[in-house]
Amino acid sequence: MSSDKKSAQLKSDALMDQMKLHLTTDAGKALTKKIGLVYQLNIAPKKLGFNEESYVVDLKKGEVKKGRYEEGKPDATFSFTDDDLIKIASGKMNPQIAFMRGAMKIKGSISAAQKFTPDIFPKPAKM
Amino acid sequence: MAMRELVTGGAACAVPGSSSSSSNPLGALANAFMGSSSKTQERLREIPTSTTIPSDGSAYVGNGEPLSVLPGSELDHPPQLNAQGSAFLEGFHSADQNRLADVWDEIQRPQVNFPLEHTQLQPDMHGPPQRVLSSFLHSFVNSSHGVPFRPASLPVLGLSEGDKRCIRDRSSIMARHFFADKSEDFINAQVNALLSSLEIDNDIRARGPVPGRFRELEEYWNESQGMRHGPNPADGWVAEFAQHPIGHRDPSTWVQSFEQEHGANGWASEFEHEHAQLASMDHMRGATVSNLAAMEQTRMLANTLAQNNDPKFQNSKFFQFVSKMSRGEITIEDNQIKPATLSAPGDWATEYQQQYSGGQTWADQFVHEELSKGPSGWVNEFAAERGHVDDEWVNEFSKLHVNDWAEEFGHQVAEGAFGDSSADNWANAYDEYLNEQTALKQQSESSHGVYVFSDLNPYVGHPNPLKEGQELFRKGLLSEAVLALEAEVLKNPDNAEGWRLLGIAHAENDDDQQAIAAMMRAQEADPTNLEVLLALGVSHTNELEQAAALKYLYSWLRHHPKYGTVVPPDQLDSLYYADVASYFNDAARMSPDDADVHIVLGVLYNLSREYDKAIESFQTALKLKPRDYSLWNKLGATQANSVQSADAILAYQQALDLKPNYVRAWANMGISYANQGLYEESIRYYVRALSMNPKADNAWQYLRISLSCASRNDMLEACDSRSLDVLQKEFPL
Repeated sequence: MSSDKKSAQLKSDALMDQMKLHLTTDAGKALTKKIGLVYQLNIAPKKLGFNEESYVVDLKKGEVKKGRYEEGKPDATFSFTDDDLIKIASGKMNPQIAFMRGAMKIKGSISAAQKFTPDIFPKPAKM
Repeated sequence: MAMRELVTGGAACAVPGSSSSSSNPLGALANAFMGSSSKTQERLREIPTSTTIPSDGSAYVGNGEPLSVLPGSELDHPPQLNAQGSAFLEGFHSADQNRLADVWDEIQRPQVNFPLEHTQLQPDMHGPPQRVLSSFLHSFVNSSHGVPFRPASLPVLGLSEGDKRCIRDRSSIMARHFFADKSEDFINAQVNALLSSLEIDNDIRARGPVPGRFRELEEYWNESQGMRHGPNPADGWVAEFAQHPIGHRDPSTWVQSFEQEHGANGWASEFEHEHAQLASMDHMRGATVSNLAAMEQTRMLANTLAQNNDPKFQNSKFFQFVSKMSRGEITIEDNQIKPATLSAPGDWATEYQQQYSGGQTWADQFVHEELSKGPSGWVNEFAAERGHVDDEWVNEFSKLHVNDWAEEFGHQVAEGAFGDSSADNWANAYDEYLNEQTALKQQSESSHGVYVFSDLNPYVGHPNPLKEGQELFRKGLLSEAVLALEAEVLKNPDNAEGWRLLGIAHAENDDDQQAIAAMMRAQEADPTNLEVLLALGVSHTNELEQAAALKYLYSWLRHHPKYGTVVPPDQLDSLYYADVASYFNDAARMSPDDADVHIVLGVLYNLSREYDKAIESFQTALKLKPRDYSLWNKLGATQANSVQSADAILAYQQALDLKPNYVRAWANMGISYANQGLYEESIRYYVRALSMNPKADNAWQYLRISLSCASRNDMLEACDSRSLDVLQKEFPL
């Protein structure tokens, strides 16, 4: 981790870091094998669609990378706010409900989007 | 570009450089009447279809996909309510002399009732023109599934200009569905191949009115059609017309037959029946754009879902919910479901009747205009009636691009992309949503830092609730301690120790929101309490609120009697992680034997996700404070987050040996097992944690995830209803 970070950053940065580590474990590799899809996440700090940061969660290769997907088209691209992604990842918010509420936008294959569920994310342990 | 816009000829539809832009009214009309409204059926056309041709030409009879009832619809639509559909149909038929319509009937007919042995992949060039055209179009449809489309020379088909226009427009729309992932050039090449084979001049331009105007009309259609009971009533109308072929070109015959069956007042009552839908449109127009987006999405979902034949699903609460939401009867604002405020029933119908002096006149006028202008005239009028507002609405709406997903959803449902479980998934999603609703009010308050007190507190009125609370806390009865401490802070709102211990109890009980709320009150009462500042730092770190966490950890150092001097004062507004970390390292060098510095440093390294350093710090602290159960848990949590789950479980076990009722450690155990993919084990630990604190919402959510990952969907209901006794019996630890 860089140590010169300013204090303002996304909660999802932590989640994505953890995801990166998680994908190196046996459970993470099993996940990669099971899903086999590439997701791009566009995460807005506050307002949907504004100042988005993108992450690629590549569940084909088992990688998490900051930035947009440049090796073709992701199977599904999601847009949400930082808070909503955390809620989805922790099971507080159902992705389908998030979509219905307009809190999440999706592009790409729906069968791929359907596999974007809380269980692909590692759960953060609490101190 | 949203597929929907391609179909409807929406604003975004004008394809640059494409001579066959799809913005045509006939396409929209055809859409409106053909697809039993639904996108899904359109999608079905993309599945290789069998090509049985009924000899009587009434392809719709009995063959329509049995449209499922939309539960929750109090707008029961008897078949005559689709009279306007018949009007469209009439126009369509008269324009096309049935031939084309029959071909389309055939192409779009769901294949479910027919064995696949008839599937034709190559066009059959023999037989009557109708058949030739049909199989030729099929080969075009099939070309989207990898069967190459080959231009063929066809016998003379005698297509009218209207037929040609229709084929051209429809095929260019369809092509954009089929080849959504292909380039525009490719699509045009495909369409041109088709058209040139049919000797249709691709340059014919038949432009309807402004694209986008028909959107609302089509929605109106979709809605009314989506709510039908039983077999597709529109099919009934088609059937009726098929039985009276003479009537096809004579609108007055059609009106007569309508009146014979339903009486002249049928029109008026129809408008009243449909009023609710129109009212919901009015509502839509007035509603906020985001509501519109949600409503539009759900509306399309509802239509799609209506195609699902699973009766279990059709009766699900979720489906009713989506149906209602799609009609604007309920909206979701700030996560609360609210009934929509509709204008009083009857207004619209009354107004309409006044305007047209009753139903009969309206019918007359309709017939008149039908004769003079054809179906598009009626559409124009409808669009004009609705005024400019609609254009604005459509424009505004089209900017949102909300259609994509629902469109594709419908499309992919039709292709069976989900398998059988999707209906369950959606139904579950709704159930989950309901649960979400119940918990939400509390959550939204506590998440705003407002402490939420328990309702019935037996300790209120206790002579010394603080002492009682401390005693209960020591015994590890966290939930009881919470109640006693709440009684204390109700009695003495400025008691920092009461709030602090309350916050600690909540944190150990795995409720960080309440912990933060209590700790903030403690900090108000005692701004420099180090334990409070550390606890706030830890809780905010857990909640991934980095800026807040950093602020409290800095404050801890700042207010520490020993280390306050190493920190330049008043930097709260411009804190840099690196600076804070270096201050703490200075402090740790000053007193390497102070466990607290190492603890805070460990938290700080968690914040920056330097887990190895954090683990080192906590291990150093543990050498100094080996019986600090919360420290063991911190070590475990850090190890877990740096994917050393096996080590983490050992650390949690240490914590639990020291404090058996430590809910957070039990929950963390569950998390570690879940992150290792050991879902069955994780369930047992979550249930254990919840049995000690049923208010630990995180654990409920994680339990739900583990249950579905462990394929224990049979227990989801127990989870959703929070039936701990059922779960404990099923998952003993």
